[in-house]
Amino acid sequence: MSTAQEPIIGIRHLRRSYPDGAGGTFDAVDGVSLDFAAGEVTAVLGPNGAGKTTLMDMILGLNTPSGGDIRVFGGSPRQAVRDGRIGALLQTGGLLPDLTVKETVQIIAALHEQALPVDEVLQTAGISEIAGRAVGKCSGGQQQRLKFALALLPRPDLIILDEPTAGMDPSARHEFWSRMRTQAAAGSTVLFATHYLEEAEQFARRTVLMHQGRVIADGPTAEVQRRAGAAHVAVTWSASEADLAALPHLLSHSSHGERITFRTDDADRLARHLLTATPAAHLTVRPASLEEAFVLLTGDQETDPKEGAR
Amino acid sequence: MSLTTYILMDFWRNLRNFANSFFIIVLPTVLFLIFGVSADWNDFMLPSGAGNVSAYTLVGIAVYGAAMATTSLAGSAAVELQQGWGRQLALTGMPHGLFVLAKSIIALVMAVFPVLLINVVGYFTATQMDTGRWFATAALTVIASLPFALYGLLAGLAFRSDAAVGAASGLLVVLGFLGNNFFPLDGVLLDIGRFTPMYGVTALARYPLTDGEIMGAGEAGLGTDPLWGILLSIAAWSVVFALGCLLLQRRSTARR
Repeated sequence: MSTAQEPIIGIRHLRRSYPDGAGGTFDAVDGVSLDFAAGEVTAVLGPNGAGKTTLMDMILGLNTPSGGDIRVFGGSPRQAVRDGRIGALLQTGGLLPDLTVKETVQIIAALHEQALPVDEVLQTAGISEIAGRAVGKCSGGQQQRLKFALALLPRPDLIILDEPTAGMDPSARHEFWSRMRTQAAAGSTVLFATHYLEEAEQFARRTVLMHQGRVIADGPTAEVQRRAGAAHVAVTWSASEADLAALPHLLSHSSHGERITFRTDDADRLARHLLTATPAAHLTVRPASLEEAFVLLTGDQETDPKEGAR
Repeated sequence: MSLTTYILMDFWRNLRNFANSFFIIVLPTVLFLIFGVSADWNDFMLPSGAGNVSAYTLVGIAVYGAAMATTSLAGSAAVELQQGWGRQLALTGMPHGLFVLAKSIIALVMAVFPVLLINVVGYFTATQMDTGRWFATAALTVIASLPFALYGLLAGLAFRSDAAVGAASGLLVVLGFLGNNFFPLDGVLLDIGRFTPMYGVTALARYPLTDGEIMGAGEAGLGTDPLWGILLSIAAWSVVFALGCLLLQRRSTARR
């Protein structure tokens, strides 16, 4: 993120509170400060309720901050939207079920100052073949692609995607990201929310980790992932306490008879050591879930597992 | 930006919604053919001498059709906004004010449809009025539908579903009955009906024809509604609907 130029999104001490229903308030976004530079592709990662959607809504001017400051392209979010500089795929952005796919693109295109040609957008989003289908008859994945088409319409410099692959099967998800990669290669700045660690890993150079309204990690994806990416390594091995104490990169372990499960912050090294320097066998490696990563990063033992990622 | 394209496309979307168009355009016309054309009392002249009974029935049913149009369109606009289409629109250059303008134009044009159709059918069948009164009653009929835009909006804001808007439109049949739109009321029903929302607008649309005189099913007249009373009824109901919309609007903003 080393750029001398003015960030295209500048967020300072941003806060959004809601009544908690018991007379008090809770902060959905709680003192977030972030800068995003032009051309950056960033994942905002976090479980449900982390504040990702609230944050993105404020960047889009759809929600008003309770405190702090937010500037997009040097002005207010509303102005940036009105100028067609931001395109967004909203998680809860509804579509009209009785319009066809093509009509939906046409009717929104009519409201932008300088929209891309409708057929071109349909092509880019991969929905030319279903252009005549009523939106209400489209699958969840097809509707997401339609929303993606709408996001591309104003020729945006900044694309914001709020859980863009929700409701897509793995192959549709793969296809979506390859389209998106093309888009990003053309120089668009992309900010997307997800709760899939893999999506951040495969697509974003930078990852912002959010939890309970706060940013708990921010940096190059590989680094955030290393910090958050604890893994579980399981082996069959009758090891002594001394054997265990000699293992590298060990965070904790538990055993069921001869089956021992290790938690590690470097699965490769631990696995190599186990296979080469010990008689351990039947080795399996399982990446930690996002929820486990959060517990690791926040050190917050009270984290409610029900709030965790799906 | 082309607001015209938005209006045309959205209008076409609403028009091709068969259930909607059937209740707004086809049903009122059929009702008029039954009650205002084929019934044998339609040839009698009104006491004022300004037109025949068919003309009186025509205006009542046309008001009902126009009110159906504004109710269902304003209601569905509110539902659309709350179900997320509003967020999609908020990501375009269109200010909210223009959305309201676009929807108002669409609702008004939709309200003109049944009025036009019923008047044309009346002209070629049983209805007799002089030219000035044709135009006066038709124009007042379209204006009469405006408070029902607020009524539809209220239903849409309150229940946030198309089903609720459908129910509100359905309720218009009852309001139309009480508003003297379909069948001349008398006695207790008339006393109650006078205070219901469709009574005032219907009486206003008929005013050029009746000068406020209330028709009975029999020979005798049932008295006269003064113009100020009619206008007061319209104003009161408009204020009630508008206040309801404002309160609900505030509630939904607070929740966000």
